This record gives sequence, C-alpha cells and structure tokens, in this order.
Amino acid sequence: MSEDMADHERIDFSKISFLVVEPNRLMGQMVRDVLQMLDAQYIDRARDFDTAINVLRMGRTDIMITEWALSQEKLGRDGMDIVHWLRNDAGSPNRMMPVVMMTANSEEEYVCRARDCGVSEFVAKPYTVNGFYTRLAAAIARPRQFVRIGEYFGPDRRRRRMPDYGGPERRVMAEAI
Amino acid sequence: MSKKPVFMPPAQELRRKAVNFKKGFRLKLEPEELKRLEAVVEKATDQFTVEVAEKLRLLRSALDQVALGRHGSDQAMQAIRGASLEIKGMGGMFKYPLLTAFAKSLNDFTKDMGAPSPIQLDIIAAQIDALYVVMGQRIQGSGGKIETQLLEALELAARKHKN
Repeated sequence: MSEDMADHERIDFSKISFLVVEPNRLMGQMVRDVLQMLDAQYIDRARDFDTAINVLRMGRTDIMITEWALSQEKLGRDGMDIVHWLRNDAGSPNRMMPVVMMTANSEEEYVCRARDCGVSEFVAKPYTVNGFYTRLAAAIARPRQFVRIGEYFGPDRRRRRMPDYGGPERRVMAEAI
Repeated sequence: MSKKPVFMPPAQELRRKAVNFKKGFRLKLEPEELKRLEAVVEKATDQFTVEVAEKLRLLRSALDQVALGRHGSDQAMQAIRGASLEIKGMGGMFKYPLLTAFAKSLNDFTKDMGAPSPIQLDIIAAQIDALYVVMGQRIQGSGGKIETQLLEALELAARKHKN
C-alpha cells in the first residue's frame, strides 16, 4: 500500500472485541473509557489469570490489552502467563491475536522479557493517551509476521529490515548455542 | 525444536474487519480527537486521588505488619511491592511524576527483598512518608530543589542498604 493511501486508513473500533486485563480499578476503567470514546462496543474485563483465560476461551476476543502484574490474591499467575497460554496452549482460540502489554514494569529487562514472551506492543506506565493509541493502532492496522523458532512463537521480534546485512544469521546461531 | 525460523504471514482478519477508508479514527489522531481522549484521563483525577490514598493506607498498614514481624509478613511485603508498582504506574498519568519517582524508588528497593532489616524498614517508612507528602501537598510536576534532594537521598540510602 502506498504511503498516501495508508495516511487515509481508519480504524473502526466498533467492530473490534477487546479484552482488558487490569487488576487496578481506576486503570482498568480508564482503558475502558478511552476505548469507549473511540467507539468500541465490545469490552470484556478481567482482573486475574483465570477470568482472562475463561474469556479468551469463549473465542470472541480480537485483541487483548493486559497488565503484567495481576491480582495479588493469585500470586504466580500474571499477564505474562496469559500471553504464554495464548501463544502456546493447544486450547488457545487465536495464537496470533495482537497483545498490548501495559505495565509499570517498564525497565528494559521487562520490555525484553515481554517481547520474548510474544507481546505485540508494549506500553510503559505511566503512559500518555497518544502513546497508548499509537501502539493500539499499530497492533490492529499493522500486524506483524509471526515466527516460530525453538520454543518461541510470536510476532517477529525484528522490526527493522536490513536487506544489505551480510553477517551471520544470529537468530539461528543464538538458538544453536 | 526447530533451529531455523519458520515465518508466518501477518494475520489479516482483524485488519480486514476494522480498517477501512470511511469510518473511524485515523492511525494518527487529529489534535481535537486527542484532546477528547486526554479529557477522559483528566476527568478521572478525583478518582486517582482516592485510589492513591487507599494505596498509601495499605502501604502503612503492610509496613506495620512487617515491622511487628506478624504472621503473614511475606504477604505484607508483597502488598508493598504491589501497591508501589501501581502508584508508580498511575502518578505520571495524572501530572504527578514525582509520585511515580518515589514509588519507583520504593518498588525497586523492595523488589526481591525478604524480611527487611531495621535499617531497611526505616528506609521503606521514609519512602512511604515521601509519597504521603507528595499527595498531601498536591505536588504536581517534578517538584522543586528540596524534593529532588529528598529523592536522591532516599535512592542513595536504598542503594547502600539493598540486599
């Protein structure tokens, strides 16, 4: 698609079914309010792993927005476990579903861990509405190719294309070590 | 397990369902649209204050529990980590980046911490007090010279006494 055409693309949020996994009342409500302002009609909410998995199993979710740290009552099961389940479990309804992770675990090590778990877009809290929207829109309108290598299944973690790269294939080497 | 990557083309179902040229929002928001969305956050400022006050009370009560060495202090430490992470994530969204900075300092300090030593307890108490001051005085933005010095001093103490 030409850049000119891409500039005119629009996202009709009323057609999309969201799952928002957020244990914090206020933050969950804010995401919902922002989505509703975008005209989203179908928004499921969950605060913990089990509820999120139950909603996902229903098969109506198009895109999931999840926090990393979930309800403290259910320690050991967090947002990353949901992503892992979605990407790898035989019971997953859509292993290529876009996932936006919004979390205050915003340091680089967490971004890398989220990427290596198969998260599509990462939003560090505190976030700006524009930052959130940009990543949400990218997840919907600019889906990335998926890759399976070793135990990883998820969006291609390489965002830059380097057609002139002449070095060794590091993706394979890293796996072989 | 395969050592060579296997690529799959991007899933297009969602794009086909929702992306068009007539209805909805452009990929880059118009300034007016952005203003309307930002108003959603502004509208929630009062709730933010209530939410943070609740988390601050939880922090104090959890700290008391840890200090008294009561049964369940592991959970209390977990509550401190959880509440500080939530405050870290909220502050900057509501024009309280200093709150985020103090909460980050507390969360970093208590991350992976077992039963805290007396000096560690004092540092945690001081970090919680700092959060109370920011909210009590409604210090928006990054604060002034005193707040910056306080933050630096707490971070220095935390670095020195981290496990």
